[in-house]
Amino acid sequence: MPVMTYIDAINTALREELTRDENVFLIGEDIGKMGGVFKATKGLQEEFGAERVMDSPLAEGVIVSSSIGAAMSGLRPVAEIQFADFITPAMDALTQQAAKLRYRSAGTQTCPLTVRVCYGGGVGGGLYHSQTNTSWFIHTPGLVVVAPSSPYDAKGLLKAAIRDDNPVMFFEHKKLYRSVKEEVPVEDYTVPLLKAAVKRAGTHLTAVSYGYTLRLTLEAAERMKQEHGVEVEVIDLRTLAPWDKETVLDSVAHTSRVVIVHEDNRTLGIGAEISATIAEQAFDCLDAPIVRVTPPDIPAIPAAAAMEHFYMPNVDKIVAAMEQVIRY
Amino acid sequence: MATAIASIGDEQAEIPAVIAPSLREGAEFEPLPEATLRRLYTYMLKCRTVEEKIRILFKQGRFSGNYFAAVGQEATAVGTTLDLLEKDAIAPSHRSFITHIMKGTPLKLLFAQLYGRKTSPDQGRSAPAHCGYAPLNIITPSSTIAAQLNIGTGIALAFKMRREPNVVIALSGDGSTSLGFWHEAMNFAGVQKLPMVFVVINNLYAESVPLYLQTAVTDISLKAQGYGIPGVSVDGNDVVAVYQAAREAIDRARAGEGATLLECKTYRWYGHSEIDPAKYRTPEEVQEWKQRDPIVAMEQRLEGLGLWNEAWKQELIAGFRQEIEEAVDFAEKSPVAEAEECLDHVYSFSVRERELDRKVWSPKFEVVRR
Repeated sequence: MPVMTYIDAINTALREELTRDENVFLIGEDIGKMGGVFKATKGLQEEFGAERVMDSPLAEGVIVSSSIGAAMSGLRPVAEIQFADFITPAMDALTQQAAKLRYRSAGTQTCPLTVRVCYGGGVGGGLYHSQTNTSWFIHTPGLVVVAPSSPYDAKGLLKAAIRDDNPVMFFEHKKLYRSVKEEVPVEDYTVPLLKAAVKRAGTHLTAVSYGYTLRLTLEAAERMKQEHGVEVEVIDLRTLAPWDKETVLDSVAHTSRVVIVHEDNRTLGIGAEISATIAEQAFDCLDAPIVRVTPPDIPAIPAAAAMEHFYMPNVDKIVAAMEQVIRY
Repeated sequence: MATAIASIGDEQAEIPAVIAPSLREGAEFEPLPEATLRRLYTYMLKCRTVEEKIRILFKQGRFSGNYFAAVGQEATAVGTTLDLLEKDAIAPSHRSFITHIMKGTPLKLLFAQLYGRKTSPDQGRSAPAHCGYAPLNIITPSSTIAAQLNIGTGIALAFKMRREPNVVIALSGDGSTSLGFWHEAMNFAGVQKLPMVFVVINNLYAESVPLYLQTAVTDISLKAQGYGIPGVSVDGNDVVAVYQAAREAIDRARAGEGATLLECKTYRWYGHSEIDPAKYRTPEEVQEWKQRDPIVAMEQRLEGLGLWNEAWKQELIAGFRQEIEEAVDFAEKSPVAEAEECLDHVYSFSVRERELDRKVWSPKFEVVRR
C-alpha cells in the first residue's frame, strides 16, 4: 500500500473519479495548466483535457453557480475555491441556491456538486489566506459539510462527496496537505459521509474535533495518557453538517467529560452546537463543564507568528483544557 | 427607441453584431409564416388573460402571498420563448411566470402553485411566482436577483460539453444588470461561447428605481461589448421584432456561435407586485405605454394581413377562460401539504427523525468499552 500525503490523496481521488465517471469535471481558478496553487489538480488537465479540468474566470460566484447549473443537468462538478477566505462572492450561490434548490423544488431539481475549499491557519498566511469558516455553511441546512483529517479519509470522503446527491462542501486544511502521510489503498474505496470516527478509544474524557485540530487533539490525548494516565476518547467528526450526534453522545454517556477543539471562531462555532446538544440530550451524563479550545472571536488571523500562535489551538492549550476537565 | 448597435463603431467589427430586423435601417421584415404570427398573438392573449385572472383572484383573497404580473410585457416573454425545444432551458426571473405557459407547464399546476397546494411543482413551498418545472427544464428561480443567470451558465455548459443543440433563455430585468452576478454570467458565457440568450426585459423601473439611477447607459445592450458577445436592443412591445431577434440569437447559440444579449424595451402596466400601487410613475406615463399595448399592436398588424377579427379573439378568450376555470378548480380542490412535510427535501436523505427525535442519553459507565 503506497504512502501518500493528504494532497496526493486528494489528487488521486480526483483522478479516479474523473476516470470512473465521464460526468465528473473540475472547475476553478488556476486548477488547469498550473495544477492548482497547492497542486491538488496537478497533471489532471494534461490527462483529461481543458474542458474537464477547466480554468475558470476569477469569479467564485460563477464557479459555484455554473457548477449548480451543470449539476442540475446531470453532471458531477467539482469546484475549487482556492482559499476559504475568497468564498464570499459565492455565498449567494451556496447558501441561497445550492442549499435550497432541492428544498424549494420539492426534490424535483437537485445539484450534486462538490465544492473543495482550502482552509485553515498556522502557516503564516495572514488575514486572507488562513480562515476557517466552516460554521457559515454548517449553519446552512441543505449543504453537507465535510472536513477530513487524514490522507485515507481525504481520498475516501472526497470520492463519497463526488458521488453524493447533495451539495457537499469539502474543507481541506492547507497545513495538512504535505505534513501528514499514511498508507492509502490504491483500490477504489469510499468513506461514508455523515459518520464520525472514533480515532482513539478512551474512558475518561471525550475529545471532539475535525481536520487539522483533530491531529493536535490526538497528540494531546497521547500526552494525557503519558503524563496522567488519562484515557481520552478522540472523535473525528469528519462530517460537520449534518454532524453525527449519536457517536458523540454515545461517547459522552461513557466518559462524562468533554473537550471540543476547533479552528472556527468560538461564538457559534460547531463547539457551541455540540455543547448545546449535550446539555439538551445528555445532561445527566456530565460530571464536569464542557470546555472548548478555539481561537478567540477576532475578525481574522494575523500573519505575525506570535499573534498567529496566540490565535491557533495547539497541543499545550488542548492538554490544559483536558487537565481542567479531568480535575473538576 | 434608440438602437444600441448603431453606437458600436467599426473597431468592434470583430464582434458579430446581431441587429433586430425592425431596427436595421431600411430593412424589411422577413415575412413570418402566418401560423407563427397567429401563434405569437394567441400566446400573448393567453398570457394576458391568465395574468388578469390571477390578479383578480389575488384581490379576492383566493390565494395569499403575492404576484408579479408581466401585463404589458407579453411580447418579450412570448417572442423570446415561442417554439423552444423541450430540452431547452429557461432561467426565469420573478416576473417570468408566463414563460411557463410558453414552455408548456400545465396551467392547472401553475394555479396549484399560486394556491400553494401539494399538487404544485414545489408542493407549496415558494412564493406564488417562484416555481420551476423540472420536466421542461425551467429552473426554479429564487428571489435573489440575477442568480438564475449564473446558474443558467452551468446548464448551458452542460449542453456544450455534451454536444447537445440546446439553448438557455436567461431572463432578467433592468435592475438585475447592476448586480455582479449579471456580469459574471455574461463574462463566463462570452469566454466559453455558451449557448445562451440573455434577455433583459427593460421595463424602465426596478421596483421603484428608474433606469437612470440603475445605469448610466440608455441601451443596456451596449454592455454586451464588454463581454465579447453581440448586443441587441429591440422594441419590446413589438412581438415580431422580439421574435425575429430572439430567433437569430437562438440560432446562433444552437450553431455553437455563443451567447447574445437581447434587450427588450417595454413597460409593466401595474406595480412591481400586487401590493405595489406604483405611485413612483405618473398616470400620464402609464397611459402612454398602455396606448402601445403589444397585443393591440399585433391585432392591427394581423388585421392588415387579413388574419384577425374580433370574433376570433373572443373565441380564443373563451377557450382560455375555460382552461383557466378548470385550472382554478383543480387548484382549489387540491390538498395542502401536511405541516411536517416542511421537513422533507432538505437532503437526499430524510431529516425527519433527526429533527423530531429528542432522545435523551443516560450515563453508561458500566457498559464494557468498545
